[in-house]
Amino acid sequence: MPIGYILLPAAWISLLDEARWISAVGVLAHLGLASAFLGTILMAVVAEFLYITRHDETWRDKARMFSVVSTIFFGVGAAFGTLVEFGLVTIWSNFITIIGSAIVLPFYLELFAFLTEVIILPLYVFTWSKIKNAWVHWVIGLAAAFGGYWSAYNILAVMASLSMRPPGLIVQNLASTTGKTVAGLTDYLVTWAKPTDVWNMFWWGANVFIFHGILAAAILTWSVISAIYLYGYLRERRPDQMKVLRVTVPGVAIMTAVEGFILGHEQGELVFQFDPLKLAAIEGLFWKGLKVDPLMSLLVYGTLNHAFWGYYSWPADVRPPLAPFDFLPIFYLGFMVTLGVLLGVWSGGLSLWYLFNGFFSRFNWARAIASFLERTGPYAMPLFAALASIGGAVTAESGRVPFILVKASPDPNGGPPVVSGVPIYSGGLINPTLSLPGWLVALVVIVEVAMPALAVYMVYIYIKRRAVREAQVVEY
Amino acid sequence: MVSPVIVAVALIAWAFSVHLPLVYTVLGLGWLLPTLELIGYRSGRRVYVDVAHGLSSYLIAVYAIGGVFGTIVTVFLAGLLPVFTNIAGVLLWPVWGVAIVFGVAIALPFIGFYNRTFGRVSPMRHIAIGYGMAIALTVIPAMFRLVFAYINYPVGTSITPSSTSNTGFTLSVNVMEALGNPTYPPLLLATIFGAIAMTGVLVSSIHGWRYASSRSEYHEVGHRVGNMVGLIFGVLYSIFAFWYLYTVYQYSPTMAWSIFGYPPSYLPSAFYSVYKPTFTLSWMLYMNIALGLIILALLLISLKVVSRPVEALKLVLTPLLMDSAELMNGLAHMPYAVVPPVSAAEALIKTYGLDFTLNVAKWLTVSQLLTPEINALLNVVSVEPGLLVGSLVFFAFFNVLLLYVIYAALSWRRTTTAMGV
Repeated sequence: MPIGYILLPAAWISLLDEARWISAVGVLAHLGLASAFLGTILMAVVAEFLYITRHDETWRDKARMFSVVSTIFFGVGAAFGTLVEFGLVTIWSNFITIIGSAIVLPFYLELFAFLTEVIILPLYVFTWSKIKNAWVHWVIGLAAAFGGYWSAYNILAVMASLSMRPPGLIVQNLASTTGKTVAGLTDYLVTWAKPTDVWNMFWWGANVFIFHGILAAAILTWSVISAIYLYGYLRERRPDQMKVLRVTVPGVAIMTAVEGFILGHEQGELVFQFDPLKLAAIEGLFWKGLKVDPLMSLLVYGTLNHAFWGYYSWPADVRPPLAPFDFLPIFYLGFMVTLGVLLGVWSGGLSLWYLFNGFFSRFNWARAIASFLERTGPYAMPLFAALASIGGAVTAESGRVPFILVKASPDPNGGPPVVSGVPIYSGGLINPTLSLPGWLVALVVIVEVAMPALAVYMVYIYIKRRAVREAQVVEY
Repeated sequence: MVSPVIVAVALIAWAFSVHLPLVYTVLGLGWLLPTLELIGYRSGRRVYVDVAHGLSSYLIAVYAIGGVFGTIVTVFLAGLLPVFTNIAGVLLWPVWGVAIVFGVAIALPFIGFYNRTFGRVSPMRHIAIGYGMAIALTVIPAMFRLVFAYINYPVGTSITPSSTSNTGFTLSVNVMEALGNPTYPPLLLATIFGAIAMTGVLVSSIHGWRYASSRSEYHEVGHRVGNMVGLIFGVLYSIFAFWYLYTVYQYSPTMAWSIFGYPPSYLPSAFYSVYKPTFTLSWMLYMNIALGLIILALLLISLKVVSRPVEALKLVLTPLLMDSAELMNGLAHMPYAVVPPVSAAEALIKTYGLDFTLNVAKWLTVSQLLTPEINALLNVVSVEPGLLVGSLVFFAFFNVLLLYVIYAALSWRRTTTAMGV
């Protein structure tokens, strides 16, 4: 018996599920690398700004280190992005036609962002000792960081459109309306009402989604940076470690507050508007028909008596899967919301302690709380941030399954809103000729997990060596 | 307004023109570096190993930038030729899959480990890592060249009439049969030898330029070995390029007509209107032959005399020849994206009639596969031409910036005060 069938028996997992697992692991790994790049290049630019304005060599040293670390994450992340891109071509091949006929603009604009990153980032890293004017060098770094964030902006615009159909986008089921398919491959044709509607990829709802994602990336990386420095500070008590903590920890606290109170709330409203089925799935509204839910009503309408359609109100073939173990509410309510709040508590508490130490250190209770937060922070902060990020990503992407370009329309018969889009299954996105033996799935997943591990290992080697060596270069 | 076909072809040609010299260099360095090491350890001359070590840093940078341009090519293909790219993804997914697994998942760690393990593992083990890297890197063109061969001559394809498909037919490909494409072996071998030759010439030019001022053994070795590699593999490239052109003449009538300037003798005159190329590129063929002869003469001169003008000419003319040959090969398909074989056309006419065959031929053209009526990018550019003009300005700017970064990387020497990375 081939090993693939031992690992992933066909009876347990369908081709569609295999494809989803490969894509899910790949997207999460790529998100991890991209987040690491965004967070570390931001850190490099902030540190260099502090160096220039405060004339403190510590910050120059940190900026230089973070610029190299960001380059490592960028290099591996870019290569991984190619892997993800070819995943689209080979697994979700009909998505390519949708790119060309509809959602191409962010991909096109992303090319310029990518060019900015790949050309200016090396320029930034290799000119630390070459450019004498520090502000000029800082501007180069800022341009490199801008390239990264612009790139994220465009890709997140695509991801936003998958969850919320942009205004003016028309999804036609050709097979059901005309009896035709596109080249015998997909039943669906996606076009714009008029050519300039393509700019609607960047409508305000998409921007909420985009900045929610970008902020999550920065929060995750700065949480990890904070944890590493906190771990070191508890053992070595070096002043340079405290300097970094006084920047990153409040940074995490502020960004988490904006993420939760402003962007998170807006995002929730959009989910309610565009995909009430997703809302029912992630909030755990597991009933059939309309039912009053006081807490949801309070959050959405500010009242206590509004009724919501339950998850089982929709037909089974349009509902996002809950197996295994009702994972959507766990990832949303458990990971994203609860752990996000806890991250805010940890980072907020430590921020108050570090920024207003003179005031709070007078109180025993404050010292006790700070000691607890500091001792647990190196483990709690990255764990909370990572699980909250994973929870958010899984909620956004799995909650819309089985569709992309999702839109809800009122049911003229008075039933739950009709949720529609391009399905991911046969006739929709998936490659109709695809076959995925278990061994291949296992191999791809191993590679997807190994590549971020490789990046982390390279960063570890760089930082470890950096502490002990001078550059040893043979001059010819 | 410029035609959509011109816009699409120009953007894709630009991306390929930057991407291909970079990936040729990656492939060439992949084979050159462990070979230099092997020579160094066998002959006991450390300088060969040092040259390989020095070049391995560039391998990482060139791989990264080349990879980015590969992504740009893919986005252009998906955005401008979505139905073509969709069909290619569906029909040839094992080819893309193998290419990407080797190109990223296996080659990237190999390149990283090869660079980081210089002097840290035994010489023979390090050479083995180097050749493992070279083999992994070679799988990428082995797969992508199969796609190029396929668009020359789509072996293994079945066409079935379909009343539900908007094209009127459906395609399927037997990938194992596609591997038997007669244009594939010479194309792949010409690519591998051409890549090694081009890399050899580039290495010799850079080292020769520096040797002209520093006269160090390090640069002398880099210059001499690069020249020899360029010469030997350049000759091999020429042999396989001529073999490739012969197979193209035999099996891809539109390409043959375009490249040689006249229709192939086996093409029935009744098919002239179907197979007539958009461009006559025989001038490019003669130019490429002339460029090849000039580079050969420069290499022979360079073996005897080290002169900066000669090295500079080698540095410029070699990538120019490579780009020109690739552009000629790509543009010769026009108006087709996939050139329909004569035998298939005859069989289709016999089985399904002339109208069906002409419809299939129409759907294999670039202008049809652009699907302008549903092409979002072309549609928005048609009403907002500033987007295209702005893009071209940006692309030109980034091209200049890229050249500057490459120049800086080659000209700046690492010192003890530079980054220790």
